[in-house]
Amino acid sequence: MATTEKENLSEREVTSRVWGIGVRHIVYMALGAALYGIFSYFTNILQLPSAGNVSFRPAIVIPLFFGAVFGPWVGLFSGGVGNLLGDYISGYGVYWNWDVGNALIGFIAGLVIYFTWGVYRNSRSIVLAEVFAALGVIVGIGFASITEIWLSKLSFATAVVGYWLPAALSDLINGLILLPILLLAYRAAMVRFGR
Amino acid sequence: MLIALPYIKRDTPIHRLDPRVKLLLLLAYGLAAAQTSNVWLILVGFVGSACYYALARLKWSETRRAWLFIIFLNVILVFGNYFLSGGAIVQGIDLSHQHQLFSLPFFGFLNHPPYVGPKPLIFSVESITYMLTMGLRNFSIAFLAVVIPYTTNPGQIGVAFKQLGLPDQFAYAIDLSFRFLPTLARDFSVTLDAQRARGFELDKLRGGIFGRIARLAPLVVPIVIGSVVGAEDIVNAMELRCFGVGRRTWLTELQTRPLDRLLMALIVALFVLVTALNILGNFYVSGPLHILHEQGLPAFLLR
Repeated sequence: MATTEKENLSEREVTSRVWGIGVRHIVYMALGAALYGIFSYFTNILQLPSAGNVSFRPAIVIPLFFGAVFGPWVGLFSGGVGNLLGDYISGYGVYWNWDVGNALIGFIAGLVIYFTWGVYRNSRSIVLAEVFAALGVIVGIGFASITEIWLSKLSFATAVVGYWLPAALSDLINGLILLPILLLAYRAAMVRFGR
Repeated sequence: MLIALPYIKRDTPIHRLDPRVKLLLLLAYGLAAAQTSNVWLILVGFVGSACYYALARLKWSETRRAWLFIIFLNVILVFGNYFLSGGAIVQGIDLSHQHQLFSLPFFGFLNHPPYVGPKPLIFSVESITYMLTMGLRNFSIAFLAVVIPYTTNPGQIGVAFKQLGLPDQFAYAIDLSFRFLPTLARDFSVTLDAQRARGFELDKLRGGIFGRIARLAPLVVPIVIGSVVGAEDIVNAMELRCFGVGRRTWLTELQTRPLDRLLMALIVALFVLVTALNILGNFYVSGPLHILHEQGLPAFLLR
């Protein structure tokens, strides 16, 4: 009986840690969104050199990182509101399906917290974060691209060849290279600050 | 390199509108326009949204960068869609009797291996009209979207979402993210200058695509990790002030005028009307109830 109670408590704790929203989550939601917006804005205006048709979007690592470290809600908010903020400060307007797509990227990347608890000490946890990040990018960009078939009346081929493949490929390359670097740097910083 | 928000303070009817009306209009128009490919209805929407944009009195010099990007993207999309679909995609319209003008030898996707091969590029009255409709639809949505950042005070965005029914925490997080922007922009600028002083050249990153991305780490890591560590102070300050314990109040409250309420009601009513017409159009093969499912081509073009 005692074991069952302990298990139940543990389950509640799990739910709270993954899905609960406290002050810390709110601040990191706002920070993630602002960082995503700022990086999107500056990498747009700096016109970073890129290869071929693949646009250079290193900012995508922000929702992936915030999701992996602080959970799915923080990832969702960083992606969705961050994309909105990036478009907003660039003066491009508001495009809700891309905001939702980016929110999905952060949300799915954040589900890795079920396995890692936001701690990335070994290569297994980093690989898991990479897998969830890749899944998030594919699903999130896929959602935004496929909704364009209905919203902009694109053909399926245009949505896939014109949006999904180049955007997802670019985000995958940028995200998967920068995410482990950030996770390791974050771990080192936490150790240094004794947290 | 400091960040300048695009908001331009001016006294125009669009600036005076409640931010919720602008957001609702953009969402409802986008979803309504997606339900038809009737060139006349989309043209009416285009003229309406162009008038709405004109009311905001935004100058070309102020919005040039955004418009150049939007024009480039739309031209690529409209023509890319035409070429990739071989001019044969007109969604929701019966194309069994196309009025073909001419065709050019081209490449396209095939239903059988090798799946890509020679395929004629068809130019018909229907497909060219569809291309025009697509362009008009995209630009009309852009007119409504571009207006938002230039005419809406960023300080009202969080309140607007709160009064749209978003929970306090999320609305406050939106508000807070706008407040973070100037600090983060300054951090970005300082870090970039510091790394440049150490020989880091952002504009001339060498190596392949993987090497270039990895070499961005000296810029990305200090900004992100520095901000995350620094945010702990904000978390502590908010916890000390018992944030989230009681109901939150807002310094500013948006007051809807009768005009805002009327516009919101009109927008919702028009959206419901378009959706109802779209659903009814499936049961009627002709007549006014089928209007959303037709291209609305003038008779003289179909002779």
